Order: sequence, then structure tokens, then C-alpha cells
Amino acid sequence: MISVTPTSSTAEALDLENLTSEQTAMEIRDLNLHYGDVQALFDVSMKIPKNRVTAFIGPSGCGKSTLLRCINRMNDLVEICRTSGEIILHEKNIYDKDVDAAALRRQVGMVFQRPNPFPKSIYENVVYGMRLQGVNDRRVLDEVVERSLKGAALWEEVKDRLGDTAFSLSGGQQQRLVIARAIAVEPEVLLLDEPTSALDPISTLTIEELITELKSKYTVVIVTHNMQQAARVSDQTAFMYMGKLIEYADTNTLFTTPEKKQTEDYITGRYG
Amino acid sequence: MDKMNVSKHISGKFNDELESVRNKVLSMGGLVEKQLRDALIAIETSDQELAEQVLRSDHKINAMEVQIDEACVQIIAKRQPAASDLRLVIAILKTIADLERIGDEGERIAKVALESFNNDQQEFLVSLENLGQQVLSMLHRVLDAFARMDLDAAYEVHQQDAQADRQYEALTRQLMTYMMEDPRGIPKVMNVLWSARSLERIGDRCQNIAEYIIFFVKGKDVRHVSPESMEQTVKGRTS
Repeated sequence: MISVTPTSSTAEALDLENLTSEQTAMEIRDLNLHYGDVQALFDVSMKIPKNRVTAFIGPSGCGKSTLLRCINRMNDLVEICRTSGEIILHEKNIYDKDVDAAALRRQVGMVFQRPNPFPKSIYENVVYGMRLQGVNDRRVLDEVVERSLKGAALWEEVKDRLGDTAFSLSGGQQQRLVIARAIAVEPEVLLLDEPTSALDPISTLTIEELITELKSKYTVVIVTHNMQQAARVSDQTAFMYMGKLIEYADTNTLFTTPEKKQTEDYITGRYG
Repeated sequence: MDKMNVSKHISGKFNDELESVRNKVLSMGGLVEKQLRDALIAIETSDQELAEQVLRSDHKINAMEVQIDEACVQIIAKRQPAASDLRLVIAILKTIADLERIGDEGERIAKVALESFNNDQQEFLVSLENLGQQVLSMLHRVLDAFARMDLDAAYEVHQQDAQADRQYEALTRQLMTYMMEDPRGIPKVMNVLWSARSLERIGDRCQNIAEYIIFFVKGKDVRHVSPESMEQTVKGRTS
């Protein structure tokens, strides 16, 4: 069903503070965010390395989802939300006035907690983004559908029923369909906001396996409540607490010998 | 005192599981220490009954190893421990393997007490006894360090092994000289030599346990590193 790549799931540790621009997919600089009077993010700065999986972990309300949503400006949709600081993609701040949010979101795709396929066929779900871009050539679209569904490890399961409604798929399949939809427009970065929290353990493992494969083509950033999942799939992990980035390190290090006591307490399940 | 912080988990049951397995390691350590002490006393006092008792008790240590192993496997399976909890479980698993082997060595040493030695040979027993006391003190101190996860104490034990090694070498030379002088005594001297070897190995295993303690506290593997690098790890007060 899924081709298992022989490479190890976690890559060699990088020097996260001194990434070269070639190694960096995005860089967050002094990001602050307020919802009305409440500050949700405090001076977050970090570099997200290219073609790797970066996980954000932390207790509920720590700001990890907020931070993730900043990366493709989903927070623009929240009226009371104000941000300061920069997020750099290709040497350009994505919060600059002249950046088109829709174009940005093609480069930085997002998958949410609950699978949200559109009430259309499997095929139409995958090509939705392409059609928005004005691509209607059937041959091109067919190719995109096959490539994306294969990329999301769903092709074998649905290739004979692409015309069926997306709702006929199971939750895990729907989530992979949503991932296929996200990668159909060939983004550079893929943001996953708790992509498996609504799925059963087997579907979860399928998605985790998929994440490991996705990183060869995309930079993946994942928010997860499941620490073991972060430990399994990510190459580096950022621990956030009360809107602050507490510790950001290579995953193997963070889960065995964290530097900060807050991180230690969180990942070992202790009272803070 | 609670460097392991085992009592602070949100899950009280996890606290209990870790505390229980830790206590079992301490009792296993106590038993191993008693076995070694008894074996040495048996040699010193030629107490064959005590030596037999040491031989009979080894199975208890083996059973404890199996039991603690099982408890650790359960913890890993159910709790997926991370960071210091994970290091504690790993340190425990490795420590009990060494403790079990120390138990086996103790058994081997006790067998010497079952032999009878003539007056000339008695002097080797005194040297053996000295080495034994040295190693017994290492074992005692390393177990004490384990109970408190005391980094400095563990490091001291680690350093102490060099002394035991020197005593062992001196004893070996002494025994070789004797064997050359009186080949008829070789079979018995061989027994003493093997016991000395066992004691020397116990010293090495105490050193291993000291390394696991350093691993737990510092999160760094100090096996097979240079003395300088180990000292740096121990003295670097980062955590």
C-alpha cells in the first residue's frame, strides 16, 4: 500500500541557530501576536529548515496553532488579530503589503485537524486548486490527480472510483485526500494542524508514514498534541508554552535530554 | 533528595510504577552486596556453610532481575517514558544486568571458601581479602550513589576502580611467583586467581553502574570516552 523508504525517519541534526539560507525554508523573526488585548505570541524567532519535518508541541493554548496559522496568514481572517515581526519566505516578509495572501497559501498549504473535503467528487477535490488557477486542461488535471493521490498514498485505494463523492471515503482516507488537494498545487511548505487527532491509530500511522515521505519534496510543519507522534515523525521539535518558544532543538535531543526544565516537565507529564 | 522527580507526574500510577521499580533495584543491589560480603566472610573465616548459603541464594538475584526487567518493559510499553524518565528506565535496565553478573561473580568467589588451603597459601587469601574489601566498598558506594543519583559519588567510584586494578595486578604477580616456585599448588592457586579475576570484574561492573548514573543525570553516554572528556561531562554543571 505504502512504499516504505529505506531512509531513517529522522534526519541528521542541524545547527538550528545557524542554518544557511539554502537550508532554510522559512524564518520567523520576533513575531508577536495579539488577539484584541490578549497577547498570544511573544517574540517568537526560529528558522524552519527545508525538506524536514518540524513539530510544534505544547499544552493547549500555548500558541502553537496560532503560530502555525501565522505561517500562511490564516490569522488575517481573524479581525481582532494583530501581528508584528516578520516571517521570511524567499527573502521576502510574507506580511508585506504587496504579498497576495492567496498566492502565499498556494506556496504554503495547510491541512486541518478534521478532514474537510469539499462536497464534490474525489477527482474534483484534488483539482480544486488547479481549477482556481484557471487550469482546465483534462490531461494536465488527470496527471495532477494521479501524482497528488500517489503522493498522498491514496491512489491505489481510489483510482477506480475517482468520480465518487469524497464523503464516501473513511476519515483517514479523507485526510489523505485533503493532503492530496494541498500538494496538488505544488506548495513548498505544508502546514499540518493536528492532522491525525480525529483519526484511528491505523490511519494515524498511515498519515505519519506519509509525512515522512512528504518531506523529500516539501517542508512540513506539524502541530500535534501527541508527543510520541512528534517524536516519531519530526526532525526538529519546538516546545511552546504560554505563547513563548521555550526550546527548539533536534527531536532526538529534545525527547531524551531537553535543556529546559519546562520542556522536561511537559514531555514527561509532570506538574509544571 | 528526589533527583529523579518520580513523584511529580500528573499520573499518580506512573509515579507508583517508577517508585516501585526503583525500590526493587535498591533491594536487588542490597542483596547482591550481601552476597559478596558473605562470600568474602566465608573465605576469611573458612565458613563453608556460609559459602553454601551464598551459592543457594544466587537464584533470588536472578529472579529479581527478571522481575525488574518485566516491570521496565511494562513501563516502556504503557507510558512511553521520555527524557529523564526514559533515561531512568534505561539506566535501571542496564544496572540490573550488571548487578546480576556481580551476583554470579559472588557465587564464583564463594566457591573458593569451599577449598582448604595450607598455611603458605593463606597469605594469598589475605591479599584476596584486601582486594575484596576494596571492591565491596566500591559496590556499596555505587549503590548508594544510585539510590541518590549522586553524580559526584558515581564519579568517585569510577575513579576508584584504578586502585582495584592495581591491587589485582599485584596479586596476580604474587600468585605467578608462587606457582613458579611450587607447581604442585597450582590448582588451588588457580582458584584464588579466578576469584581475584572475579573481584576485578566486579570493580569494572561498578564502574559501569557509575556510568549509567552519569548518563541518567547528565544525559550523556560516558562509556568508552577519554578520562578528560568524562571529567568535563561530570564537572560541566549544565543540568
